[in-house]
Amino acid sequence: MAGLELLSEQGFRLDGRRAGELRQLRARMGVFAQADGSAYLEQGNTKALAVVYGPHELRGSRGKAPHAQALVNCQYSMATFSTAERKRRPHGDRASAEMSLHLKQTFEAALLTRLFPRSQIDIYVQILQADGGNYCAAVNAATLALLDAGIPMRDYVCACSAGFLEDTALADLNYVEEAAGGPQLALALLPQAQHIALLELNARLHQDHLPRVLDAATQACRHLHALLDRVVREHLRDAAALLGK
Amino acid sequence: MAAAGGFRTVEPLEYYRRFLKENCRPDGRELGEFRTTTVNVGSITTADGSALVKLGNTTVICGIKAEFAVPPVDSSNKGYIVPNVDLPLLCSSRFRPGPPGEEAQAASQFMADVIENSQVVMKEDLCIVDGKLAWVLYCDMICLDYDGNLLDACMCAFLAALKNVQLPAVSINEETGLAEVNLKEKTPLTIRKEPVAASFILFDSLLIVDPTAEEEDLATGTVTIVTDEEGKLCAVHKPGGSTLTGAKLQDCISRAVTRHKEVKKLLDKLIKSKKAK
Repeated sequence: MAGLELLSEQGFRLDGRRAGELRQLRARMGVFAQADGSAYLEQGNTKALAVVYGPHELRGSRGKAPHAQALVNCQYSMATFSTAERKRRPHGDRASAEMSLHLKQTFEAALLTRLFPRSQIDIYVQILQADGGNYCAAVNAATLALLDAGIPMRDYVCACSAGFLEDTALADLNYVEEAAGGPQLALALLPQAQHIALLELNARLHQDHLPRVLDAATQACRHLHALLDRVVREHLRDAAALLGK
Repeated sequence: MAAAGGFRTVEPLEYYRRFLKENCRPDGRELGEFRTTTVNVGSITTADGSALVKLGNTTVICGIKAEFAVPPVDSSNKGYIVPNVDLPLLCSSRFRPGPPGEEAQAASQFMADVIENSQVVMKEDLCIVDGKLAWVLYCDMICLDYDGNLLDACMCAFLAALKNVQLPAVSINEETGLAEVNLKEKTPLTIRKEPVAASFILFDSLLIVDPTAEEEDLATGTVTIVTDEEGKLCAVHKPGGSTLTGAKLQDCISRAVTRHKEVKKLLDKLIKSKKAK
């Protein structure tokens, strides 16, 4: 980490943000016509596209489908040109299979799947440009796409990453901060009830520090919730204006 | 409205014929009219060149990444261009999970053939050191929204992305023999030919331009014509289906030539506005 000062003495990060500050978020809902729900989301330089189909009849093998609730089917893929090094496989490798599983588990916690027994909900996420926080951007984009599709959910799902560096908790890490190798936590939160849908920490961190990092991530998620909510309300206002002529 | 929707589902052919009788199509277009085309270049900063093309609802994004490779043994002064068309699950509910389907593979091969035959970029231009080092251009086209006429959208996205490519200067260090990349000095590619595709469907002996997915499903045959900026043919693709007279094929070609002018105007305007910034 030497030579690359991730946090300046004045408390600024490489891209000029403060410790708890999010990257700029831009999002649009309903970008595609033929899908049931779709959304495009940019978090800084990370660009994600989410498309939702369903609920529809079960496809493929019915053997593993749950009886009393809808099957949530997720696929996460990264465009071959999304990273600095060209990716050989856009999906199907271990990292994206794990990511697909995480997405599935996250949304099973938030969707009211019991309302649609014997049916299937497809969530497809494509990362077009990756600059850290891919999981978080995927979750946030998928939330907007699910809302666009009108599928009932307990709450928004907001996801944000947080790291810990020089005794400071940093929110919404970019690629350089992720690659530096410090402890990193990904949190998916149902913000109204403050329920945690998914929490992942893959590095050593003293347990005394965990509350602070978790707190930073929670704050960021709540902030994201306000931003996503604004996007949804603006989209609905525009849609209503079009319908009402 | 609801009755019309039901009629459309139950009798799609009859529904469509009624529109054609009035010389228009369900989406309000005339038979020879393309959908609104929009192009956006350079939106993906991790790629060396990128473009997003919308043809009505059909959306294709093309990202080009350049890598080093050893030139092929039989032609040591050439680089490579590797096109790939991807139809992911998210673009339409008609595709099934698994390895790339026939349509995606056929489209990839069609793109490769056109690139090879039209010589849009001379492969010799991609050579850095004879027999040692050359560029590989990986051109990945991802369909984000599938609503028919994939080939036209892919070709347009490919051309726009190619025009957007900036390759860094490479020099060979005399002492170590290793390549050194100068990221500050970037040059665009020399584009020799500008192939643009125009696709048609055959329906009841009528030629209909730029089909939507719905129209493609109803059609009995398709024709794709690729022309360059001088109006020369680069490819004529008619994969079976109902037959076509020579006169009709001439109609297709002349329409393809006018389409080329439309697309070229659009791309030129875009490049000019990029340069002005």
